[in-house]
Amino acid sequence: MLLIRLSLRNLLRQKRRNIMLGSAMAIGVCILVVANSFSHGISDILFNKIMRYVTGHVAIRFNEKGGVMREIFRDRARAFEAVKGEPVIEDADEAVGMFARAIGNGRSDNIILVGVDTKKTIGKKALREVEESFRLVEGKWKDVESAEIENPVIISAEKAHYLNVKMNDIVRVRFRNMFGQDQAARLTIVGIMKNDNIFMQPVVFLELPREKELLGYRPYETASLSLKIKDPQKNAAALADRIHARLKPGIAAIYASAAGRDGRKPVVLLGFKSDEESKKRISGILKLSSGSFEKAFRKDGVIIPVPLARSLGVNVGDKVAIRYDRKFEKTPKEASLQVSAVCGSGDYPAQDVVLLNDSGFYDLYYDDLPAGPGPGAKAYAADATWSALAAPEWVLLKRTYNTDDYKKKYQEIARNKWKGTTIDVSTMYETASDILKLESVLNIITISAVLILFFIILLGVVNTLRMTIKERTREIGTVRAIGMQRRDVRDMFLLETFFLTLFSSFTGLIMGFISMRLLSLITFHPVDNPLGMLLVNGHLYFLPTFTGIAGSMLLIMGIAVVTAWFPARRAANLSPAQALGHFT
Amino acid sequence: MNIIEIRGLKKNYPLGDTIVPALRGVDLEVAEGDFMSIIGPSGSGKTTLLNVIGCIDFATTGSVKVGGHEITSLNDRQITEIRLNKIGFIFQTFNLIPVLNVIENIEFPLLLMKRPAAEARKRADKLIEEVGLKEHAAHRPAELSGGQRQRVAIARALVTNPDIILADEPTANLDSVTGASILELMRRMNEIEKTTFIFSTHDANVLKYARRIVKIKDGLIEKEPALA
Repeated sequence: MLLIRLSLRNLLRQKRRNIMLGSAMAIGVCILVVANSFSHGISDILFNKIMRYVTGHVAIRFNEKGGVMREIFRDRARAFEAVKGEPVIEDADEAVGMFARAIGNGRSDNIILVGVDTKKTIGKKALREVEESFRLVEGKWKDVESAEIENPVIISAEKAHYLNVKMNDIVRVRFRNMFGQDQAARLTIVGIMKNDNIFMQPVVFLELPREKELLGYRPYETASLSLKIKDPQKNAAALADRIHARLKPGIAAIYASAAGRDGRKPVVLLGFKSDEESKKRISGILKLSSGSFEKAFRKDGVIIPVPLARSLGVNVGDKVAIRYDRKFEKTPKEASLQVSAVCGSGDYPAQDVVLLNDSGFYDLYYDDLPAGPGPGAKAYAADATWSALAAPEWVLLKRTYNTDDYKKKYQEIARNKWKGTTIDVSTMYETASDILKLESVLNIITISAVLILFFIILLGVVNTLRMTIKERTREIGTVRAIGMQRRDVRDMFLLETFFLTLFSSFTGLIMGFISMRLLSLITFHPVDNPLGMLLVNGHLYFLPTFTGIAGSMLLIMGIAVVTAWFPARRAANLSPAQALGHFT
Repeated sequence: MNIIEIRGLKKNYPLGDTIVPALRGVDLEVAEGDFMSIIGPSGSGKTTLLNVIGCIDFATTGSVKVGGHEITSLNDRQITEIRLNKIGFIFQTFNLIPVLNVIENIEFPLLLMKRPAAEARKRADKLIEEVGLKEHAAHRPAELSGGQRQRVAIARALVTNPDIILADEPTANLDSVTGASILELMRRMNEIEKTTFIFSTHDANVLKYARRIVKIKDGLIEKEPALA
């Protein structure tokens, strides 16, 4: 207490000098807090106001047959099953978007057509959030679900201006659907939104079911899923891991009946993997009695076992009629397969199994998902060999935890020829960890700049302290002579610096908050300006965080105390006799 | 019983390339409760001798025992403890702490000793009354006269009940009347508190207060002159 009292009183002795030094420190803290809050604000905009709407906090991406644009999963209910019962999930949406060429009145431009689930999104709270993020200057959000209007859409004011269209005008669009077919449609403008965020300017909102229909989805199919969750920074990675574990695929099997010349038999159609390594293994374990592996390994290759071939009365080159119940349609699916090889002996999966090359198998499987084995029938259970060789329901891509690994994963996807659907579960932190890196870089730049400023300030601290020590040398001699230990003398000066920095930091913090408030009152109009991405509704956006502020203050106090250590120690080491004999 | 025993004390100061001898072999014994004055001309070594006795300067050679402790063999922390517990200082220029008021200055050494604040304040109140500054308790040193400041310094020196009080030219910055009153006070305190007082002076008028006079010249103690 004695040292604290002495330090505080000494601090008030040189008011003008300390106020000037403290002001310089406060300005440094103010800059650091503002810059830190600004860079954190940028991350927040990118993550929570852009990425959140583009990919969600966690995304489950489905890509059928390696098609980048073919984001489809044929069993919507099953996809949503994987995210059920997770209390951290606030919202799970189908992320449906497509690039299109829009033709307005005499002008055309590219747009991104984004599907909004009006049934779900336009709740009171969600509507308020949507309206805050995308301010409508004309029209109503509710109108996008109007059944009387042909494809009602909401378009950004900038895009409407460029396309020379206004409310109730028709915009024609050309686009390629999910299966690569060129399509055209007419959109009716029912709303115009004002958006200062440059990323959102090409976005045109259309009701989700209409968008899905345009792209070629059937009602029971889904696009990639976008999940919005509570406290994403804390929960996203763990949730993605849990969903990933739930999406482990089984073996894809079609429970069908096969008909040949001599009758119809129940069969199980399995796909066999047709990569080089699998083909080598299959040719090693199966002994063909007729036909060849060369033909069997073609896209339309079909292998049946000898007993089944006999009971059906078919041989190599003969056709087999296949029929199976579909999961989502009432009528059964019928197809014709041509036998490429008959397997005589070897490690064949089962005597009722028909093996198909996975390319051909998936065409059948995905086009019309089969129903299960049927009441009373046994599901096919593969042994270890065929668990590895049989085509899975889908390919679950491994989890990645940073952008570099994520990019590598997608490079690998691009290199491989995928026959099945790939499923990727990722968080926005790995798909865009570059944004976090950007924040870190901005923080490093800010801290570096402020450290230079602080270096200058700290020279002032050292200089002030040296001057103070010189002025108070006799006093140091006195307190040492009276019986104050060296350590206490040192601590007295350190405490003085600490309190000066503490008060300055708090002043700087208050100045920082005032500056942020004032800066955020300025309105910018960044039409077609990349700076627009840094704005929220035309205003600079700051997001101060406790850790950022506490870190900045601790950094500055730490630096100041460390800097003060050396002159303070010098003061403590003064000989009392010499100090008492000192004249200023 | 001797509270101070000095044998063959030499103290040299380096001055550039040369060595200046300040004390050249001092032998001195001071009895407990003594009221002793060290006299001598300027540069004779009075202050150096007081500094060495007060453990704020160190002997080049020789033996210095203060309160039975051979101070030449102690480290800085132990010597500081001796200064705090056994010795009180009264300086020519008062050397009060400007940011503390009178009562805080007096209790300061007790707080360094980690005595409870209430106990320190009680002792400081007693002493402030004894030195006649009760009504100035809340004043800062800058608001006091020279004589008042020196009274505060005396109270501060006495507050820890030290074995020895060292006063280096305590009246040099005071007029003769105030100086006399300060010496009277010191003498009275010597009688009340039974504390050993050693003070240096070159003022012949103050010698009448001393019970023992030690004359120092050129770093050596001369034969003790007879008391007036």
